Amino acid sequence: MDRNRKLLISILALLVLSAVIAIVDISINMQYKKPSGISISGPRIGPGVGIVRIEGAIEMVSSGGTFGIRQGAESIIDRLSDLEGNSSIRAVVVRINSPGGTVAATQEIYQKLWRLRKKNIPLVASLGDVAASGGYYAASACNYIMADFGTITGSIGVIALSPNLKKLLEKLGIGMNVIKSGKYKDILSSFRDMTPAERELIQQIIDSSYRKFLKDVALGRNQNESDIAPIADGRVMNGETALKYKLIDGLGTFEDALDKARQMAGLSPDAPVYDESKSPLQELLLNLQGMLGAGSLYRAAGYENSYRVEYRWEP
Amino acid sequence: MILSEIRSMRWTDFFMHALLDPRALYRMVGRNEPRGFLLSFAVPAAVAVVDIITHSLFGRETSFFYYKITYGWILWFLLIFFRTVVAAALMDMASQFFGYKGNIRELVIVLNFSLFPEVFILPLAYIFKIFRFAPLFFYILISMGLTVWSALIAIQCISEMHSASIGRSAVIFLFPILLIGVTLILAFILLAILGVGYFVG
Repeated sequence: MDRNRKLLISILALLVLSAVIAIVDISINMQYKKPSGISISGPRIGPGVGIVRIEGAIEMVSSGGTFGIRQGAESIIDRLSDLEGNSSIRAVVVRINSPGGTVAATQEIYQKLWRLRKKNIPLVASLGDVAASGGYYAASACNYIMADFGTITGSIGVIALSPNLKKLLEKLGIGMNVIKSGKYKDILSSFRDMTPAERELIQQIIDSSYRKFLKDVALGRNQNESDIAPIADGRVMNGETALKYKLIDGLGTFEDALDKARQMAGLSPDAPVYDESKSPLQELLLNLQGMLGAGSLYRAAGYENSYRVEYRWEP
Repeated sequence: MILSEIRSMRWTDFFMHALLDPRALYRMVGRNEPRGFLLSFAVPAAVAVVDIITHSLFGRETSFFYYKITYGWILWFLLIFFRTVVAAALMDMASQFFGYKGNIRELVIVLNFSLFPEVFILPLAYIFKIFRFAPLFFYILISMGLTVWSALIAIQCISEMHSASIGRSAVIFLFPILLIGVTLILAFILLAILGVGYFVG
């Protein structure tokens, strides 16, 4: 067959392929939007409620990633900035499904939410399956917190983990040569026992981060630190218990949270909801990015930063 | 016979010439070997399907999309077909004004094949949609570019058909648009006069 004809057949095949992909994209998009359980009633114009989602471990992932899609705390802050700058947004519902994450990333989200709260934009936190530790920290910046009966929340506390592989390495006959400029340079090293002085140093960081956590939660909840301290021992609890201890304001679903946000903003019950929208292809790229991302590669290779102090529930 | 025609792959030359050498496209159409009349309607059919998919990609999708992609494209294809036949008839009339021989059948084939670049709107606009880089702007820009490309193919084919200059071919090509435009303006003016007369009287 002539080369030009082959080329044309290839072009036609590519056109057919792009049409098939587009049809699948549109179909998935329709089905993706349907079962979300979020009723987007009324036209999507005019004043309404914006939604921001905090899902999974909270980390500061600022780079664009392999496919240029931002994720992590920075993308949540970007989304909040978008909502802040949009005159149609009269209230924000923060949907949280997270066991927490790194201290700095959580604090950045808290501060951003606090900034919106100071601008008198009503914030309602809706807690999903888990909103523990850093997840609850972020929620505490909101004016009103709503959780499901079975939501796992609480876990107010700070944790730092580091495996001690010394005995295993000794069994394998592996030693580590460490040349360091100061005695604490390899603090939290997995290759040796932790010294009492190092433990004290890390404990200071933990205590300082814990005090900040407690202070911010008390500020957000309009309570005294002393009221929260008795239950701020890392314990987790369900929605019902959290309500008893006044960690949340009410029990309810995501839709109840939307209604509450509308009510707080003085909007009509059918005011529109502005949710984040990602096309299925973007979701796919995001998943691929997660698999191919530098963070995962580092983790797989064992180079993950071991100095992570986290507001995180670690069951 | 049809199968042997398909296997010969000579039909691909219509599409290749439409993209690269419109004058050669007309020469193929003029020779009527291989026959391209029926094949030429595959192009407006493809354009109808691509148009519907592209519009759905850029709009808010509902389950009505399934109706559009199964039956709706036929209606859209019929509209393109009707538009092509009317345009070909008017271009043929314009050609005869200039003293050229009328040939509406070949004009229909040529106009059908000249639409071929428009199927590229889907993959090109889709790239901007995926990366969310001003998708609507580029959709309009690419659409305009592809329309101009289609027009250039048709004009070159008309030029080859009548051995006419590019300028004169362009006038023949634009004649239906001008005629319909002037007619619409006159109709609007008449309606306006009628409306004013009705309300004043």
